[in-house]
Amino acid sequence: MIVAENLRKEYSDDEVKTVALEGVSFNIEKGEFLAIMGPSGSGKSTLMHIMGFLDRPSSGVYKFENQGIEDLDDDQLAFVRNNKLGFIFQFFNLLPRTTVFENVRLPLAYTKISEEEKRQRVMKAIEAVGLSHRMKHLSNQLSGGEQQRVAIARAIVNDPSVIFADEPTGNLDSKSGQQIMEILQDLNEVGHTIILVTHEQYTAEMAKRIIKLKDGQIVSDERVADRKIAKNGLLK
Amino acid sequence: MRLRDSLKISFTTLRTNKMRSALTMLGIIIGVGSVILMMSIGRSAQNLIIGQIQSLGSNSIYIEPGSFDPKGGFGMEMALEEMTIKTLKLKDMEAIEKDPLVDMAYPMVYGTARAVYQNNDEKITFIGTTPEAYVMDNWHAVAGRDINEEEVKSMARVATLGYKIAGDLFGEEDPIGKTIRIKKTSFKIIGVMEERGMEMFQNYDEYVYIPVTTAQKLLLGIDHLNAITVRAINEDVVDRLIENIRFILRDTHNIYNLEEDLSRDDFKVMSQVEASNMMAQVTGILTAFLSSIAAIALIVGGIGIMNIMLVSVTERTKEIGLRKAVGARNKDILNQFLLESITLTLIGGITGFVGGMSISFIIAIVLSSVLNISWGFAVPISAVVLAFGVAAIVGLVFGIYPAKKASKLNPIEALRHE
Repeated sequence: MIVAENLRKEYSDDEVKTVALEGVSFNIEKGEFLAIMGPSGSGKSTLMHIMGFLDRPSSGVYKFENQGIEDLDDDQLAFVRNNKLGFIFQFFNLLPRTTVFENVRLPLAYTKISEEEKRQRVMKAIEAVGLSHRMKHLSNQLSGGEQQRVAIARAIVNDPSVIFADEPTGNLDSKSGQQIMEILQDLNEVGHTIILVTHEQYTAEMAKRIIKLKDGQIVSDERVADRKIAKNGLLK
Repeated sequence: MRLRDSLKISFTTLRTNKMRSALTMLGIIIGVGSVILMMSIGRSAQNLIIGQIQSLGSNSIYIEPGSFDPKGGFGMEMALEEMTIKTLKLKDMEAIEKDPLVDMAYPMVYGTARAVYQNNDEKITFIGTTPEAYVMDNWHAVAGRDINEEEVKSMARVATLGYKIAGDLFGEEDPIGKTIRIKKTSFKIIGVMEERGMEMFQNYDEYVYIPVTTAQKLLLGIDHLNAITVRAINEDVVDRLIENIRFILRDTHNIYNLEEDLSRDDFKVMSQVEASNMMAQVTGILTAFLSSIAAIALIVGGIGIMNIMLVSVTERTKEIGLRKAVGARNKDILNQFLLESITLTLIGGITGFVGGMSISFIIAIVLSSVLNISWGFAVPISAVVLAFGVAAIVGLVFGIYPAKKASKLNPIEALRHE
């Protein structure tokens, strides 16, 4: 489903050239649960941005469902992000002073489906993360864990094929973090491909596969032998 | 993105920053309000003046000294000419009156002086004319009587007082039969005029009417006139009579002008229709001038909008990044911010419109009831269209730069923004 071949990304700030990715290649199949690990500055965020169609590589091939990123213009990238991808961020990025319902509805504002269907989908997504009772609350009235669950609901409201999670537990206490990982594993069970960026080994081990990056290059790419299941309370 | 969603976001944003939105709108409110006010007042003034000219009857003709300016200017030059040309005389009027198309005519000379009665001393405008003036203006003495033909012939020192000046000079006293002094000449008061109020920016109640001959010889020491007003026997002959008058005056003034070049005449002849068109033009120019000054406020308001939208874009960088990440296209972001600035200007425009109308309405009430001027409340449709059109355009023009800036934000940079 995802093909990356020799991806490179360079930034030039004030004529100082920084290489974030130095030729990265891998494939991801549908239904995988992949963790991308690495210390800060290893290029893992850059890689996630390219995979999430938020950024373009400097060179190399990146294909999502057989569509090369170089063949799509900005509007088409936006369309793919809207319909096929979901994002979860470390700092939740919810709209402040806005209800849970409206926050989850956000991606649907840019689609052309009926109001009624939008409402149905939003309710379903909120239910899936167990926040139906918080529907009318404002996002800033919720706890960190609840906010991240709203963000997950927002990510799945379009029924995406891939969900990107950038350090989703990084800003949460371990109990809330565990709940989040539980939801992500459940989502993976029902068929969503999950790509998780983290620097924590024990979080990464809840994925099925780990790619380790260092200085913009892949240092290892292996299956998780002893996969941890969040439901079993490992993070407690 | 649907318009309804965009509108909802706009209103939510404007509501969450109530104070800021209100202050930003204030510029537009003042701009649109003052444009509406100026145009409304201009239109009312125009209606008033034209109404007054027309009330004199469409068979009226005015003759003034000075030449017709082909460029149609109304400058100082013309005003000076009218004051310095001394060729229009009473015998001209007598010659014109012989024309069978003339029903009636009256001359006019005027000047300002101080009128003294006992200890009271008031500045007045005196008008020298003939009894026909009372008849043609349909404005007469309510106490005492009008000036008569005999008094004009004999250069009598008599006067009829305007309603206000009578009160100012005599208070509770009955002025009839009393004597006032104007420029050291004694005048006997023979009548007090009916109350008339302001017309054509002139307060008729402050005028003192005296015989034209008295005014010329005793007060001004001149033998020319400032104006002649002629009434044709009916409306249909007005144009012919104007031609006749020109012919007569060229003859009495010895002007050789076979080409009928009006700029070579030393007089101007104008029908009531032409006079009202001219006044419409003058008030129109004045209104346009005042409105364009008011429009500057609108531009300043627009700059305020741009300023606040730029602040808004910076503040909401993270939101823009998020919206892009979940599928908003550049166009969606652009439209959203544009819609916000247009919403701001339109709400400001509506408020300013209502405000300007209200002030204009209050002015109309005050002028008509307190100052007794027949001032009607009027708002030209063009003002409404202009005010809203300009407000929307201001929103668009000054909103486009911040909106473009927002739409071009890189989603990753925007998401990282703290």
